[in-house]
Amino acid sequence: MLEIHSLQTRIGDKEILRGLNLTVKAGEVHAIMGPNGAGKSSLAYTLAGRPGYEVTGGSVRFEGADLLTLAPEERAQAGLFLGFQYPVEIPGVNNVYLLKAALNAARKQRGLPEVDAFEFLTLVREKMRLMQMDEAFLSRGVNEGFSGGEKKRNEILQMLVLEPKLALLDETDSGLDIDALKVVANGVNSLRSPSRAVVLVTHYQRLLDYIKPDVVHVLARGRIIKTGGPELALELEARGYDWLLADAA
Amino acid sequence: MTASSTTAPARAPTNRDENWKYANLRALSRISFEATAADRRADPIAVALPARTTACRLVLIDGEYSAINSDALPNGAELRIDTGSATAESASVDHYYLNLNRRGRRETLRLRVLEGQRVQLEILHVATHVGQPAIEVQIDSSAELTLIERYISLDTATAVTNLALDLRLAEHAKLYLARWQHYASPASHIETLNLVLGASSECDLTQVTSAEHSETAVSSRSTVFVTHAGEGARLHWHSATIADGQQQHDAYVRIDHQARRVQTQQVFRGIASGRSKIGFNGHMLVGSSAHGAHSGQSLKTLLAGTEAEANVRPQLEIYTNEVTATHGATVGKLDADMLFYLLSRGLDPGTAESLLKWAFVSDVLTRLPTVELRHQIEARLVLQLPGAIAARQSSAQETAG
Repeated sequence: MLEIHSLQTRIGDKEILRGLNLTVKAGEVHAIMGPNGAGKSSLAYTLAGRPGYEVTGGSVRFEGADLLTLAPEERAQAGLFLGFQYPVEIPGVNNVYLLKAALNAARKQRGLPEVDAFEFLTLVREKMRLMQMDEAFLSRGVNEGFSGGEKKRNEILQMLVLEPKLALLDETDSGLDIDALKVVANGVNSLRSPSRAVVLVTHYQRLLDYIKPDVVHVLARGRIIKTGGPELALELEARGYDWLLADAA
Repeated sequence: MTASSTTAPARAPTNRDENWKYANLRALSRISFEATAADRRADPIAVALPARTTACRLVLIDGEYSAINSDALPNGAELRIDTGSATAESASVDHYYLNLNRRGRRETLRLRVLEGQRVQLEILHVATHVGQPAIEVQIDSSAELTLIERYISLDTATAVTNLALDLRLAEHAKLYLARWQHYASPASHIETLNLVLGASSECDLTQVTSAEHSETAVSSRSTVFVTHAGEGARLHWHSATIADGQQQHDAYVRIDHQARRVQTQQVFRGIASGRSKIGFNGHMLVGSSAHGAHSGQSLKTLLAGTEAEANVRPQLEIYTNEVTATHGATVGKLDADMLFYLLSRGLDPGTAESLLKWAFVSDVLTRLPTVELRHQIEARLVLQLPGAIAARQSSAQETAG
């Protein structure tokens, strides 16, 4: 589904990713861990097409297509979803409109007609129940006045409504208490299917207690320096990153 | 605002005058206020007027009251129309156009809301040629007035309006004032407002300046004087200007805090697209007697066109120690983080930008005092913020469902 080969990016003069390779197959959940400043969020932003992240080398293929030639909205319409670490507040644009507009954009790309109002509301209400969110959130501005946990739930709600092929979740667990973490994990797990993939960027093993990854990577200094199974996350929890960084140096 | 018949009348302002720095004086200087048009007051207006936003609507055509097109006044209010010009002249350059109005007006419409009464009404200004409306509103103690003032043009020729509006609130009076300037044909709009707030009175003023099309040639200049004259008076000011094409809108708003524990909250939002120009000068004056006053200002303008121009200027003059004052002013482009967020959800750039523009002025639109007016304004803004209105309507329908 996703094939990244020797990806290099920079922001201004600063090199961020330095020849990153990653392959994610349909049905898999990958966790990307690593020390602060390793380039984890930059990888997510680069894949989503955020302005300012300049690709200086390498390639990214998503479902066989050259992802890097697509505009951000085209990447989203093609089925790529970025769950933000710090979702932005947009007062004046309400959640329900954003959800519907985003869903219709994705449906248009798939050659489907716009969703009708009843079908849409039924879908959204079902997903909100799963995320234990009050319906009042629908009429509020996007993330406006939401707590950190509410913003993260809202990200997952959007993901569930859009049903992307590939979800990149950037530190979705940060700022969540245990109960909220379980709710968010439930949401992510409900999306798992043989035809989808999830890439989790996280600092902590605890998220992986609730979302079992198939593959765990360590990203440091702009590259994947180690790949393993779920046991690698446990080892990192116990030993930190120093031993890997020393090996990679 | 003081006036004296013994001083020399004001000269015409120039762009060298601080409070007129950004006004479109070239256009204003070409206007002939001496022009007279046929008296159309007695003619029913042939075209469909916008739907009423309150049960009672008074219609002024080129500044003059048109009884045939107006409704009967509701209980609790009195209306008197005095014909003829006014003589008082002011020497202040800021009153130049007010002086012209005083000399040139044909009548003065005097509206009074009686003590303890609650009244809602709309004043529809129809501009066809040249008009110099003069309106004085007195709200007696503990009375409440919801006044919706809207300005439209009917003919294709350039319409000129030079308004003098005087509003006085007695103690404990309330005024919900919504003003909407929306011309569909070329128009020059000048206005001088004087608002005096008595003790414990409250004014919630919302103003939207827009035009039917981006190519509609409209320029406006608003000169506003607010005086907090009584202890505990409160003013909530929310205005939005949406300009496109070569439209020019400029406002100078002076809010004078002269009594104890008075409060002002002022919000201005402007969106300048195309080659338009927006100016907003918010002048807060806190006098030595205004102990415990609070004033807050948030002035923001969005530059949405590469050749657009915006100038927002907060001014704060404080002559007492016991005061809390905050102010902020920005001129900028669309928030890149917000834009990327919407794009990352698959919205096309045009829709995303329109939504963000809508969001930018939503602080003001949500303050409009009646749902009918808000819906009408939103329906017209679709031409300038395409996509955004669909968002609003869709949202309302979904949440209602």
